[in-house]
Amino acid sequence: MERFELRRQDFSLDEDQQAVREGFGDFFTKQVPSSLVRDAEPLGFDADLWQRVVAMGATSMALPEAVGGDDATLVDLVLVAEELGKVVAPVPLVSHVVASRLLASAGGADELVAAAAGGERIVTLALQPVVGGNRQLVPDAALARDVVAWSAEGLTLHTVAEPAAHVPNQGSTPLAWFDPAAGERTVLATGPEAEALFRTAVGEWKLLTAAALVGIGQSALDLGVEFAKTRRTLGVAIGALQGVAFPLADVVTELSGARNLVLKAAWYATHEPRTRPDLPLAAFVHAARAATEAAWVSAHTQGGLGFTIEADISLFFLRAKGWSVLGGDPGADRRAVATALLASV
Amino acid sequence: MDLSTVELTPEQQAFQQEVRAFLDEIVTEEVHEHERRTGDGFNEGVHLALGSRGWLFPAWPVSDGGAGLDRVCQRILALELSRREVPMVTHSTTGLVWSAVELSADPELAARLKPEVAAGRVRFCLGYSDPEGGSDIAGATLRAVRDGDEWVLNGSKLWTTGAHNCQYTFLITRTDPEAPKHKGLTMFLVPLDSPGVEIQAIRTYGGERTNAVYYTDVHVSDTYRMGDVNAGWATLQGPLSAEHGAGRPDDGLSDIGMTMGTREFEAAIDAAARWAKRTTRPDGTLVADDPAFLDRLGHLVVETEAIRVTPGPMGRNKSSLSYIAGIAELIDMVGPEALLAHGSEGAIEDGVIDYAHRFAQGTATYGGTTEVFKGMIAQHVLGLPRLNLPGSKAWVR
Ligand SMILES: Cc1cc2nc3c(=O)[nH]c(=O)nc-3n(C[C@H](O)[C@H](O)[C@H](O)COP(=O)(O)OP(=O)(O)OC[C@H]3O[C@@H](n4cnc5c(N)ncnc54)[C@H](O)[C@@H]3O)c2cc1C
Repeated sequence: MERFELRRQDFSLDEDQQAVREGFGDFFTKQVPSSLVRDAEPLGFDADLWQRVVAMGATSMALPEAVGGDDATLVDLVLVAEELGKVVAPVPLVSHVVASRLLASAGGADELVAAAAGGERIVTLALQPVVGGNRQLVPDAALARDVVAWSAEGLTLHTVAEPAAHVPNQGSTPLAWFDPAAGERTVLATGPEAEALFRTAVGEWKLLTAAALVGIGQSALDLGVEFAKTRRTLGVAIGALQGVAFPLADVVTELSGARNLVLKAAWYATHEPRTRPDLPLAAFVHAARAATEAAWVSAHTQGGLGFTIEADISLFFLRAKGWSVLGGDPGADRRAVATALLASV
Repeated sequence: MDLSTVELTPEQQAFQQEVRAFLDEIVTEEVHEHERRTGDGFNEGVHLALGSRGWLFPAWPVSDGGAGLDRVCQRILALELSRREVPMVTHSTTGLVWSAVELSADPELAARLKPEVAAGRVRFCLGYSDPEGGSDIAGATLRAVRDGDEWVLNGSKLWTTGAHNCQYTFLITRTDPEAPKHKGLTMFLVPLDSPGVEIQAIRTYGGERTNAVYYTDVHVSDTYRMGDVNAGWATLQGPLSAEHGAGRPDDGLSDIGMTMGTREFEAAIDAAARWAKRTTRPDGTLVADDPAFLDRLGHLVVETEAIRVTPGPMGRNKSSLSYIAGIAELIDMVGPEALLAHGSEGAIEDGVIDYAHRFAQGTATYGGTTEVFKGMIAQHVLGLPRLNLPGSKAWVR
């Protein structure tokens, strides 16, 4: 890899991007109090909130103009996803947007893409290749009648009459078993093109989930820091003690790097998709670790209270792992990142 | 956001060619051999050659001894110097001290030094750390006592890196032992050829040489005082915050954070990757085909990606701590070959991994330890309260 490349390193957001961040930040903060997240358990879906998210344009913004979108970029989308993660909003936005973009790129499902853009149909994708009749757990499949999957046969749209049954899970996500033999099947693409479409979509899913995980980690950190400023021991705030403060300093270090790595991966995916296809995977690996650490450190900072269901940190703790694990073992991503390095040295 | 490749104008392209050709000529194998032998972080020939082109302070106007380079050309030069592993420690301490000289030194002195500094004939080192403890910079104990137009210095400093190759040390002294800790300090630019200055080498297992410097009745003219008497803490703030990464132009042509040892870490990872592609294990399998190896290698690559984008003071900690943990892991992955030293039969790429492992350890200490930085991050980034200890404000010995 060329380590001394003369590239700009400008991570500042332009006005439009700042407007996206602030607009969705305000929206999610106002619309999603922690009580709403709790009320949406165990399914992890709030239909009213979903309608409002659709009305904000989140489901259509990053689709091509030709199918009614605004051509927003992945940089815009990661900003939205981070804000969503900050409040752990119970809506299937990440899978839905990625599957919609995949359907739009593959072509041949225009009506479905239009319905997805308008939020009337929820779509998702199977993140693991389908082999034989093996079933797999698919994020948001408990809400979606349409699942895009990839197998040796090609990229296939699976449509069932009713979404599959929800399987309750630690992260309170709308997870369900996906049976590749069930329902109607439409082949959208075949051969190397199908695989490339699938890999790109999985990369996008991991990238947006990484952004959401950064949001989760940030909110977890904020809760821990707030607690550390006010809780007292031996006559001082616990946050003055290095044993408490230093792990929190480590967390903000990891999160600030993860946030920039997500932005970097989104920038490359938008402007130079072929240069660093490993970056979304790297961002996912790093963000998943950072969120896991943030959630644990923050919970622990809050002592026994941090272990209770009543404490809001519980929402973030359970989802830091509950959302990241949907992407499968990060070990596979680490191997892909290493393989990319081997090819470049 | 803009992470794109910088498009060079024909002039900038020509400059890049010029830099490459010039560095090819002056940064010889002998320069690297000299660095391995001495650990000086300095090579006089290279330093003077860079000075002769105005490339030590390339942003300065030509009339001041610089090269008047635009930001893109400055970046081109910095990247090429880094790529070639030019020893730059004394160059960088000189730059840090210069910012204080410009602000706080007697203007005549500054004017006299400027062309010499630009040419590379005058160099500065940092005399901050005390033998009794470097983290508490404001707790400095070396005494300076006024004597007419002069000051008399007594005491010692540890870790004055480059002192044996410098003309002046930027020295922090205690001038009022009765005052609160931060209000009894005065900074001096002390000529290192003054009688009573004794420099002794200290070697690290990272290969660096640094120094203990002893000051016995050293007389310094008051013209070498930097800033007001007992205002040393204020004088120190400029160079200290520059060392901590402040004040970089925000034009996308600087690094995102302050990285420590990342080039060495990346070089070791790249070498291990090449090694894995050409090496079979005793059982005949190619290392690069081993999924467990790839998993661990991938982790290290992700860490370097994260280091490169972790901003500001957080990057300082991320770079050092990930490097220290990661290089130890890399050695386990490669096995004993990784620790064969430069020149040993079978050493991987001239011992680059062996070196990276030894070098890593100092990065958590110099320039302010990772603990000192965690404290700053806790207070200034997270807004956590500061712990008041007996020596927080008072000078406690
Ligand atoms: C190779 C090398 C080159 C150097 N070059 C220079 C130089 O050119 N000029 C110069 O002035 N100095 C230089 N230094 C010195 C360096 O800045 C100091 O070593 C460093 O600041 C730590 O000081 P110390 O070694 O005295 O350790 P101490 O300050 O005694 O610290 C010992 C340990 O305690 C921890 N600790 C100390 N205080 C705190 C605190 N408040 N909270 C939590 N933990 C704490 C430290 O992190 C460390 O782990 C160099 C050091 C090395 C190793």
